[in-house]
Amino acid sequence: MDYSKEIRDIAAKLFADGKIDVFVGYRMNGFDDNQVPVVITDPKEVSTLVFTEKSVFNLTNYLKTDHTRGKRVGLIVKGCDSRSLNLLLTESQVKRDRLYIIGIACEGVVDDKGVKMQNCTECIVPDAVVFDEMLGSPRGKKDYIVNADIRALAEKGLVERREYFEEIFENCIRCNACRHSCPLCYCAKCCIDQETASLYNGSNTASSAFHALMTWSLHLAGRCVDCRNCEKACPSHLPLHLLHKQNEKVIFENFQNHLAGVEEGERGAFYKYSLKDPDDFIM
Amino acid sequence: MSFSTFVTDTAGLQKMFEAIISKHETYAPVEKFGKFDYKKVSSLKECNPDSPIDATMSVKPLFFPRASKIIKYEASSAGTSIHETDEDPIAGKRVILGVKHCDARGLQVLEAVNKWDYIDSDFLKRRANTVIFSTRCDKADTQCFCTSLDYDVENLDAMDVAIINGPDGRIYLCARTEKGENFLTQNPAPGSRNPEPIAQEEMKKQYETFAASFRLKMDYKDVNEKMSKRFDSPAFEEASRNCVSCNTCAFICPTCHCFKISDEKIRDTGLRYKSYDSCNNAYFTLEAGGHNPRPAKYRRWRQRSMHKFVYYKERFGVNLCVGCGHCAISCPVNISIFEVVNHVANAPVES
Repeated sequence: MDYSKEIRDIAAKLFADGKIDVFVGYRMNGFDDNQVPVVITDPKEVSTLVFTEKSVFNLTNYLKTDHTRGKRVGLIVKGCDSRSLNLLLTESQVKRDRLYIIGIACEGVVDDKGVKMQNCTECIVPDAVVFDEMLGSPRGKKDYIVNADIRALAEKGLVERREYFEEIFENCIRCNACRHSCPLCYCAKCCIDQETASLYNGSNTASSAFHALMTWSLHLAGRCVDCRNCEKACPSHLPLHLLHKQNEKVIFENFQNHLAGVEEGERGAFYKYSLKDPDDFIM
Repeated sequence: MSFSTFVTDTAGLQKMFEAIISKHETYAPVEKFGKFDYKKVSSLKECNPDSPIDATMSVKPLFFPRASKIIKYEASSAGTSIHETDEDPIAGKRVILGVKHCDARGLQVLEAVNKWDYIDSDFLKRRANTVIFSTRCDKADTQCFCTSLDYDVENLDAMDVAIINGPDGRIYLCARTEKGENFLTQNPAPGSRNPEPIAQEEMKKQYETFAASFRLKMDYKDVNEKMSKRFDSPAFEEASRNCVSCNTCAFICPTCHCFKISDEKIRDTGLRYKSYDSCNNAYFTLEAGGHNPRPAKYRRWRQRSMHKFVYYKERFGVNLCVGCGHCAISCPVNISIFEVVNHVANAPVES
């Protein structure tokens, strides 16, 4: 999967035609095969753009920065990235007519060690679902499979599971990198930053980490697209996907097979009401 | 004062570590979720004193905790009463195994600010009561550049006991401070004390191979001088464009020392904490009246890099960066502070 040349050509043409002000892509980091996202305003820098299976970071995160806000942006999206973009569009965070989207029919990306990422092996939507131009040959949607770690956890006892999650909260250092690198966390003032809210309070303790991470995961319930930007950012290497994948499973099973951002214009599971929604918990 | 050197081998070193752990309160890198963090250990099996640098947290939290309790308070109809917390900063004598050279230097650098203006007695007491054993750094990782930043390879005085790999499986244990010397006198290392002068030669050769293994090299004096003239350079904006302001870099940095004060309240009682904060955070400089002097990302990046390479150097004579590369390793978008400061230093000066 190497679309570097195609992307350079498209970006150069977009700049030449005056269709975009900014292009968000990837470049090599200059010493090994890992990549760095770039926000290009100068058409001369287009030649540095690359796209391979090392292009891991979800670039829709950059749509909330000052460099792209209110500008016409060219953007590369893989399958999962396009799902988060879909949600940003539905939630009125970006305007579709300001974007030129290069969609990728993604074959899966690899981590630092060259191993295929777990979310790619379980990917449901490898092809970009929203795009102006598609690179690669689309392979269509795949069946939903419950995350392997969630299945393994479900087999453990309640006490064991609690201890495992307590360990996660104890190892959290409250840097909030997970939230900042999440493309769908765009609130101007996040509730976990409220100094007066005694639950979140900003102190670097396990109880504060518990409240912050649980709130974060609930705000992303039915919205998380499993791009794993949060895990990539976590300096403690915490398995943060567990918090989201469990929600995803419950929502998929109970809310008419809902998966976040797969259909264009579709709202998150908690934003819409359907007569088919389960109501057996009402007495 | 001259310090002793011991020569031993891997088995001897292991035996010594086991003896230390059984006798003293010992901290060492313990693996959790694939990342090593310094924790209290009761046997050598739990930890790995030779943990890889790219998967090890800084040792700083043992001296400047991620959250330290300041006071406890209780409100009642009679008024508010304030109590001391149960946290004891002078937790007896302790030993830390497997500290990276850069990490140990970070503590040395931090001492300057903790001794200046407000004297942070907790930090200094923790320092005085701790014996630091270094890890055996013999090869630089991809993001390492410690030798470029006033790192004194001849003295290595940031740690109390430096452990150095020699040829043919020999391992040298060198006391580097008075504290280290006293510790080694009370807890003698296996093997012979003060070996032949050839040991000095071998260690020197080891330093040279170590120094030659670095991919990143810079002349920090040049960078200091150039950066001090580029406060208004647009290079900061260029270099910080792809930063996602996630703050990971500051939270895992062995020298960052900004903190915030926050309360954990439960009904009428509360605990006041001192926790880490980051100057890359948009709220960091937000004033009560709503004005924010550093609203743009590049201004926060400028503060962070200028503090590390210009302001701290001017005030205390030493860089606030130790070249450990932790920030570049943990950055989700692979930004390296080495690249940023070099980009700024080599940018044209605004006329």
